[in-house]
Amino acid sequence: MSHEYAVELRDIDKVFHTRHFFTRDEDDNRRRIYHKKTVHAVDHVDLAVKPGEVFGLLGRNGAGKTTSVKMMSGLIKPDSGEVFVDGMEVESNRLKILRKVGVVLEGTRTCIWPLTPLENLAYFGNLRDVRGSVLRTRAEGLLEFIGLKDKMNVQVRRLSRGQKQKLAICIALITDPQVILLDEPTTGLDVQSSRSIKDKVTEMARNQGKCAVVTTHDMSVAQELCTRIAIIDAGKVVTCKPTDELLDVFREQRYEFRLDRTPDVAPLKAIPGVNNVEPLNGQEEPGLLVTYPADQELRSAALYSTIQHLSKEGLVLRSVSQLQQTLENVFLQMTSDKKASL
Amino acid sequence: MGFFLVMKAELVRTFIIMRRYWFSTLMGIFIGYGMLMALIYGFMNSSAEPTDVGEVASEVGTALESRAADNGFAVNATESALGFMLGMFAFGIVGLFTAGLQGMARTGELEQVCLSPHGLVTNFLARSFVASVNSIITWCILLTLISYSVDSQLHLDIVPLVALLFLTYFNLIGFGFMMGGLVLVFKQIGQVAMIIRLAFIGIPLFVSESIYDWDIAANPFLLVVRGILHIVPSADAAICLKMVLVGGSGYSIFAHPSFFWLIVNGFIWTTIGIACFHYLESWSRQKGTLGAY
Repeated sequence: MSHEYAVELRDIDKVFHTRHFFTRDEDDNRRRIYHKKTVHAVDHVDLAVKPGEVFGLLGRNGAGKTTSVKMMSGLIKPDSGEVFVDGMEVESNRLKILRKVGVVLEGTRTCIWPLTPLENLAYFGNLRDVRGSVLRTRAEGLLEFIGLKDKMNVQVRRLSRGQKQKLAICIALITDPQVILLDEPTTGLDVQSSRSIKDKVTEMARNQGKCAVVTTHDMSVAQELCTRIAIIDAGKVVTCKPTDELLDVFREQRYEFRLDRTPDVAPLKAIPGVNNVEPLNGQEEPGLLVTYPADQELRSAALYSTIQHLSKEGLVLRSVSQLQQTLENVFLQMTSDKKASL
Repeated sequence: MGFFLVMKAELVRTFIIMRRYWFSTLMGIFIGYGMLMALIYGFMNSSAEPTDVGEVASEVGTALESRAADNGFAVNATESALGFMLGMFAFGIVGLFTAGLQGMARTGELEQVCLSPHGLVTNFLARSFVASVNSIITWCILLTLISYSVDSQLHLDIVPLVALLFLTYFNLIGFGFMMGGLVLVFKQIGQVAMIIRLAFIGIPLFVSESIYDWDIAANPFLLVVRGILHIVPSADAAICLKMVLVGGSGYSIFAHPSFFWLIVNGFIWTTIGIACFHYLESWSRQKGTLGAY
C-alpha cells in the first residue's frame, strides 16, 4: 500500500432524517399526522488506520459504527468531511476504491443460497471484475485458507451459519483487497467458528499486510483481535488508543485487599495517593477495594502506605491482588454518563 | 467489458438455478400453458356456462376442436395469448426493478451489488437483459405450444422479431430504471408500482393495429388515448409483435408508424430512465436508504 494510511476519515459528519405520516411518536407515545425525526449518526469523526493494522470500532447499538463502515465503502455519503482509502477520496473515486475494499456487512445475505461456495465465489468474482484462471486459483485458495475446501461443492443453504459467514469473508476477499471492513463478523457464531475467523483476520493483517476495520459489540473479540480500538458513543469518538494502552489506563488502579476483619476506611482515604476505598461487601472474606492513581510512583508510595497502615492497625493481610481489567469494564466506563477523561 | 462480465455471471447463475431446480422450471411452463389456455377459452367461449370442472374440461376440448378450423378464432386466440405474454413480460421486467429491488434491499443483496466496481446501472442492465432472455425463451415455448393447440401458424421472421424484442426490452428497462431509482429512495413506492405493472399486463392484451382506424374526427378524445398508448412502453411493442408473429407482416413492419414510435420511445425511456436512476442512486446514498427497507 502506497500511502501512510489505508483508511482515513477526516471530520466526518452524518445526520439521518426520517419522515413519517400518520404515526405514533416513540418518545411521547402520541399519534401524529406528520413526524420528522433526526438522528446524528456520526458526529465529526476523525480516524486513521494504517496498513497491517486490525482496527476495532466499538460502540453500543446505534452508536454509528455501521454508518462509519458504510461511509468507508461508499455505500453512504457523508454530509461533510472526507473519507480516504489508500489516499483516494471515496466519493470521487468510488468505483476504483471498490476494487481495493472488501466488505462483510452484518446480517446480510451476502451469498446466494442455491449456489455452492465455489459458484458463489465465481459469481461475485465476476461482479467484482475478477475473471479467468486468477479467479479460479484465488477462489480455491481462499476456500482452503478459511477451511471450506471440503464444502466447496455443497449448496450454501446446507451450510451452517459459521460456514456461511466464512464464505462471506471469502467473497469480500475475492478481489484481494488491501482493506477489509468487517461489520460484526462473529455475531451469532459458535466459539470454534468465531475463533477461526479471528485467526484468519489476524493472519491476513500480520502476514499479508492487509488492514482490517472490525466493528463489534463483543469485547472479547475486540480485545483479542484488534491492535487499536476506537470507542464510539452517540456518533462521537470517545477514545482511540492501542488495545493494551486502553486496558492499562484502568488495569493499574484497582487493588483488592483480603483481611481478617473490615477496618475503618476513613484513615485509609486520608493516605496521599489513595483515590477511593470501599469495603468488600457480600464476600466470604472481609476486605477492601482500593483505587490508586495511574501514575506509577504515586501509586507505589500509596500502596506501601496502605499496607503499613493496615499492619499498624493490627490487621492480618491475607492477600493483595490487582484486579484484571477487561475491555468490557473499560467500555462501560467510557460510555457511561460519567465518562473517564483520557 | 464490465457489462459482458456481469452478464456472463448472471447467465451462469440463472442457468445453474434453472438446472438445479428443473422441476420448478418445468412446472412454471406447464402452469403458464394451462393458465393461457383457460384464458383463451374464457375469451372466445364466453357464452358457455359450465357447471363443474369435468364439464369445463370437456367443453374446452370440444370448443377448441370445433373452432380449430375457424381461422379467425385461431388468430384471435394467438393474438390474445401473445398480448398476455408481452404483458407478463413487461410485468416481470418492471417488477425486477421494483419488487425485485425491494426484495434485494430486504435481504442485503442490493448492498452487495452496490459494492461491485462496475456500478449499479451496469449490474441492473445485465441482470434485466438475462431476465429478458430467460423470459423470451420461456414465452416462446409457451406461444409455440398454444399456437399448435389452437391450430394457428406463427410467422417467425427472425430479423424483425429480434429487432422488435430488443426495442421492447429497451422501452421496458428505461421505464424500469426510472421506477427502480424511485424504489431506491422511497422503498414503499413498490406498492404503487404494482398498479402500473398490472396496467402493463392489460394494455398489450387489448391493444392492436386498430388504434390507427379510430375515427378521430368523430371523437377527438381518442387522439388523447392514442397518444397515451404511444407513450406507454409496451403498447407499440404489442402492436408490432402481433403484426409480425400473427399477421405475418415481416420486414414491412419497419415502415409501420408503431415501429417508429417504438424506436423513439426506446431512446427516450432509456435515456430518462438511466439518468433518473443515476441521480436517485446518488440521492439514496445521501439519505442512507440504499440498504434500508
